[in-house]
Amino acid sequence: MVALFAVWEGAVRFFGIREFLLPAPSAIWAATASVWPTVLQHTLATLGTVLGGFAASVLVSLPLAMLIASSPAVSAALYPLLVVTQSIPKVALAPILIIALGANEAPRIIVTFLVAFFPLVVGTVAGLLATPPELIELGRACRAGRVQELLRIRLPFAVPFVFSGLKVAAALSVVGAVVAEFVGADAGLGYLIQTSMAFFRTPLAYGAVVILALLGILLFQAVALAERVFFPWSSGAAQAPPAA
Amino acid sequence: MIRLDAVGKTFRGRDGVPVEALRDVSLDVAAGEFVAIVGASGCGKSTLLRMVAGLVAASTGTVALDGEAVAGPRAETAMVFQAPTLLPWADVLRNVTFPLRLMRRAGAGTEEKARALLDVAGLAGFESKLPRELSGGMQQRVAICRALVQEPRVLLADEPFGALDALTREEMSLELLRLWAARRMAVLFVTHSIPEAVLLADRVVVMSPRPGRVADVVEVGLPRPRSFDQEASDEFHRCARRIRDRIFGERAARAA
Repeated sequence: MVALFAVWEGAVRFFGIREFLLPAPSAIWAATASVWPTVLQHTLATLGTVLGGFAASVLVSLPLAMLIASSPAVSAALYPLLVVTQSIPKVALAPILIIALGANEAPRIIVTFLVAFFPLVVGTVAGLLATPPELIELGRACRAGRVQELLRIRLPFAVPFVFSGLKVAAALSVVGAVVAEFVGADAGLGYLIQTSMAFFRTPLAYGAVVILALLGILLFQAVALAERVFFPWSSGAAQAPPAA
Repeated sequence: MIRLDAVGKTFRGRDGVPVEALRDVSLDVAAGEFVAIVGASGCGKSTLLRMVAGLVAASTGTVALDGEAVAGPRAETAMVFQAPTLLPWADVLRNVTFPLRLMRRAGAGTEEKARALLDVAGLAGFESKLPRELSGGMQQRVAICRALVQEPRVLLADEPFGALDALTREEMSLELLRLWAARRMAVLFVTHSIPEAVLLADRVVVMSPRPGRVADVVEVGLPRPRSFDQEASDEFHRCARRIRDRIFGERAARAA
């Protein structure tokens, strides 16, 4: 990482590359630090959208996954719809949503949600259906009903799968938020990138990109940490072979 | 106490062709009796067990427990599967108490009872370990404790030691006998090991495959408590040979 930045810095200085084409890391830092209150404000705006979209993904995906896993008929009815939402480019959808819902936070959160939720649904469904038949049979032998089976056996079993879905969703939430901000926003890092580039303030745009990357990493790590703290048996459990 | 009367089972295969798994199986198991079921793979042993457990319905004939037809899983039966099938997210103690908690039968003494059983099974000190931290033999012991804590009157075991190595297997057989002797429930024990069946059971039901039928019932006259020394006895050899002849004799006849 450090070497990369050093080579970058050196190359820019040595070849005299002009700043609006490729700014040196030092220039990026300087440009970003000089307006840090504004940058912070934009970062918080983006963070709000990211967390809102991520939360919406979780709230919708988990019940949806349970519904899909509950019966092949429901699955056959819902999956094509979900695939349709994934085939529509969100960049194309964003302006339509903004016209329909107004230029406020709601369309941005919806776009973020649309970008992020799918892997979470797919992961959770996979986990619910991957429950070993022996565990299901154990539940049946203990006279567990369908709801009990879902909540006490299938759902806990799916936790490692849910968390791999959550990690992907966390990273995608950042992407979704920026897509939404590119199309219609008056704040946020996506908005900052667009306005900076419009005025050839390339270093500041690069600074915003770096912050976005950091946000993604941070959110991903937060999910990983939550998994280790609250579900210690889950981390690596899906892959770990049983002790022989 | 368990009565199977002319029980048959036909499954519909994946291609729609019916497959007859069991035909005309009749068997009585008395309270406290240890009955082993042996046979080649595909003779419907597991299906038979699942019928008594109420997990599979019979196509023909009746399965009754205490004179009452088995329509679904019942509280007085408990099952041990071939794989330990422990909940990976729960520790050993919570795995043992899981069925009782699931059936809302867990009470104040449940945890105490579970600890006592784990102690007898040589798992004291492992109560808060996760299943993946245990060896295969220990996991299966947890599974047996999980069945016994329900204080079943009928214990159904589907090749419970099938996945274990030979040494662990012998050790576990004797442990199971000790636990059974202290509780005296009826045991229906499916295995494909002839020595295991003879060592454990009062009676060995020999089944023939496709469709599964009762080929023979061998009374084992070995005194209890049983030990591996008895494997050298004449009675042990007589039983083992008769079972073997029944299983392989059929195969030889079929091949001819």
